Formats: sequence, structure tokens, C-alpha cells
Amino acid sequence: MNQPEYWNPALETMPLEKLKLLQFKKFKRILNWAYTHSKFHKALYDTEGMTPDDIRSFDDIKKIPKVEKSMMREIQSKDPFPYGDALCVPLEEVSTYRQTSGTTGQPVYQPDTWQDWEWWSECWSFVLWAQGYRPKDRVFIPFGYNIFVAFWAGHYAAEKLGCEVVPGGVLDTQSRILKIKELNATAMMATPTYVLRMADVAKNKMGIDPSELSINKITCAGEPGAGIPSTKKRMEDAWGAKVYDHSGATEIGAWSYECRDQPCGMHVNEAMFLVEIEDINTGEITEEPGRKGKMIITALDRMAQPCIRFDSKDVIEWDSDLCSCGRTFRLIKGGVLGRADDITKVKGVLLSPAAIEEVVRSIDGLGDEFEIIVDKQGDVDRIKLKVELLPEVTRVSIENRLKDQLRLKTNLGYMIEFYDYGSLPRYEVKAKRFKDLRKK
Amino acid sequence: MKNFSSLNGVNDKILKIKQLLFELEKDAKQFPALDRNSKRALASIKMLELNISDIVEFDLADS
Repeated sequence: MNQPEYWNPALETMPLEKLKLLQFKKFKRILNWAYTHSKFHKALYDTEGMTPDDIRSFDDIKKIPKVEKSMMREIQSKDPFPYGDALCVPLEEVSTYRQTSGTTGQPVYQPDTWQDWEWWSECWSFVLWAQGYRPKDRVFIPFGYNIFVAFWAGHYAAEKLGCEVVPGGVLDTQSRILKIKELNATAMMATPTYVLRMADVAKNKMGIDPSELSINKITCAGEPGAGIPSTKKRMEDAWGAKVYDHSGATEIGAWSYECRDQPCGMHVNEAMFLVEIEDINTGEITEEPGRKGKMIITALDRMAQPCIRFDSKDVIEWDSDLCSCGRTFRLIKGGVLGRADDITKVKGVLLSPAAIEEVVRSIDGLGDEFEIIVDKQGDVDRIKLKVELLPEVTRVSIENRLKDQLRLKTNLGYMIEFYDYGSLPRYEVKAKRFKDLRKK
Repeated sequence: MKNFSSLNGVNDKILKIKQLLFELEKDAKQFPALDRNSKRALASIKMLELNISDIVEFDLADS
């Protein structure tokens, strides 16, 4: 019998106007829950003179104050230890601890009840089913199972779908590749950086062509690479597999996914999340396709530590088209385009590291690794780009094309440094390739 | 919502299971195996509610 196309056909094909009504009703429910169960949320809304009863229409939602990650430090200094007063359940109901990586400041502690953890894997089930994971799949998960949420919920969702899961926890990269080969694993989940790293190790250290292994689909998360066409192409070429994008976060949940139609964007799971886009300059909430802004997101069913109008700093834009897959969940064009923290003005021009990645990875002859450093020479901004040449490739054959493409795609000039293949740092989870030294 | 004309019927069944699990949980405070497994099952039932019951209870099912 054919497997159905949608994880939940009732929700995933619901007309947009009904989805909005669902979001509105669920928003009121979670807002009321937070207001009546968390001192932090009650104080936040009381200060603004608002109660859940003041939310009478969808438009009223934007009156609710946003929550920023920076507020978590103060929240988590209060009782109950270690989560603080945004916690909405008795401490003994918390079944799982996770934390953010702390890249942008102090780590945020994330409590989840068992129901929240079920919810996490439910959200991931939408992701994996849409990407073609089915019970016949053997899914290899090469990440260090630890305090970071990463692919934990992907693991449980794959089990829920009926897949066979192989946890590739503390194995090193070569052992993981051998295990994929030994077991004929058909699917894998990893950051784009690690997908490329594994391919590199397989090819150049083990003499194994990853495209001849049995992996036929890869789910990427943690970085924007699978939404950057040239990076996606490199991964798909290396592994001979479909590569799908997904985005989620510890404090939010698994909120978006690319489907099998690969529409150059990701569906927002609008049954489980409310995504608003805030114009970076005006602060206005916009529904207009093609207008980039910061994502303000609400997890509509997360209970222990609610995520209500959270300022994620992810930069996204709505696509004007619906996807050919038939889902009515709207698409964000190109996936997550970058972080508001990383998109910075250089010489008066807005620079997104993702645009540089797109250029570097589109040029044959350059390795996968690169590094961007922005600093000042006197009073003038300077961008240094470090790239690697593949063996037997000459700088002369690459340099002008790289400069031209960078100028064309980013409207900026670069100081380019070429390095031998294998010289730049390698990463196993999320890469740190962008440094803005002017912020010191 | 093609092929899901009877979401109301599905929801009725979900609510019945939920009620039974609540009863099991309530009577099981001195019986941890029954108490904790009922609680855990209720968390799974909640996922059925998010997938189905919300649609019915918010009156969003196709008539």
C-alpha cells in the first residue's frame, strides 16, 4: 500500500484562513497558560497593562511584548533553580534538561516535561515524514548525544515513524563512515559542516566514495547551509543523496522543514508555531512576501517553559508562492537567510556571511572551508576572506572569478588569502567562520 | 481535509481514552508502575489532541 504523503493531512492542507484561526486560538491558550502559571510572564504582561483577555483578534497578538534571549539571564537567576520564574510546571514534572550553546551569551537552560518531549518529537515527525523518511529506513545519527538538543528529537521522531535508528554517538568520523557502510544506512542527520566533513574524510582519508554508500537522504540542521544552493549541491554531489533543510532551536522547537519537492525554501509548521516577521528597520510586523525581517516566533503548545513572541534574530522572508507539494503551510524563501546579529554593515553595505558562502561553494577548485574576518584598517572597514585551494588547482585560475562573483553578489571588495587544502580549521558540529573584530 | 470527514468520531475516541487514562492515574498513587505509565500515555494522547482534537474543538473541521 502506498504511504500517505502528509504526516497530518488535516493540518498540512488546511486552508490558510483556518490555519490563522487555529493559530489565534492556540496563541490565546498558551498565553493564558503562561500568564496563570509563570511569575515572569505575568509580570511582563502586567507591566504593559495587558492580560490574555485583551487579545481579541489576530492583529492584537503583536501588542504582546517580545521575549529576548538576553532576558533569560535574569529569569534564570531566580527560583526555582536552575530555570527561574518562567517555569510553568512544578520542578518535579521536568523530565529533561537541555541548554543552548551559549554562542551569543550565557547558555539558556531549557526544561521540558515528558509531554514537551513528546511534542518535540511530534514536530520532528512532520519534518522527517515530509522529507520521505519511512519505516523501511535505517537512520544513522552521527552526533554527540549530550546536553545540546541537536538531533535528539530527530532520533525519537525517526523511532516514532517506525524507522530503525542507529545512534552514532561517541564514534569518531571514520568509525561512523564504516558503520554506515557496514549497516547500509539509508538516511542521516547532521549539520552541513559535518556532512561535508564526513564526505571529505571518507574520500581523502579512507578512499571511500560517499556517493557509493547507501545514504539516499540527509537532513541538515543547525546552520543555514542546506538552504544555500551551492552548499546544498556540494553535499548532494558528494553523497549522491537528497539533502533537506530543517530549522529549529532549543528555546523554540523544530519549527520549519524543506519537503521532498525541494522548493528552495522551508515550510513553517503553522499548526504548531506562529511565525511573525518584523522589519529590522521599522519594527513593523509584515506579511508581505519578499520583505526580509527578524523572526518573532511562538511555540503554540510548549508548556514547561513557554516560548511566546520570542525574538529569534533569524532573518527570513515569506515566499509569494505556495509549494507544489500541496501543503498550505507557507514557505520561507531560501530558508533562514542569516542571523540579525551576523548581518552587518561593512563600508555602508549590508553583508550577510551566507552570501559569501554561496559564492565560495559555487566555485569548483575551492575547498569547503573558508573564513571571513571583518576588521578596520585605520578608519576603513576591511574584509579578509580565507579560502583553500584544492590540490592541483592554481590560484591564477580561481582568483579573478572569485573576486568578480563576490563583487557581483555582495557589492563589496575583499582581501583574499589562499591556503593549501587542509590548512583552515575543521569543525564537527557548527562552524565559526565569521569574525567581526570591529565589535571589540 | 480530504478523507477526514469523521474527525468528530476520531476525537470522541481520543477523549474516551484520555478519560480512562485519567481514571487509571487518579487511582494509582500507591502503584508507581500504573501511575507513571498512565502519565506517560497521557502525554502521547496529548499529541493526538494537538493533531485532531484541536481541529474539532476549535470548530475548524470541514462540515
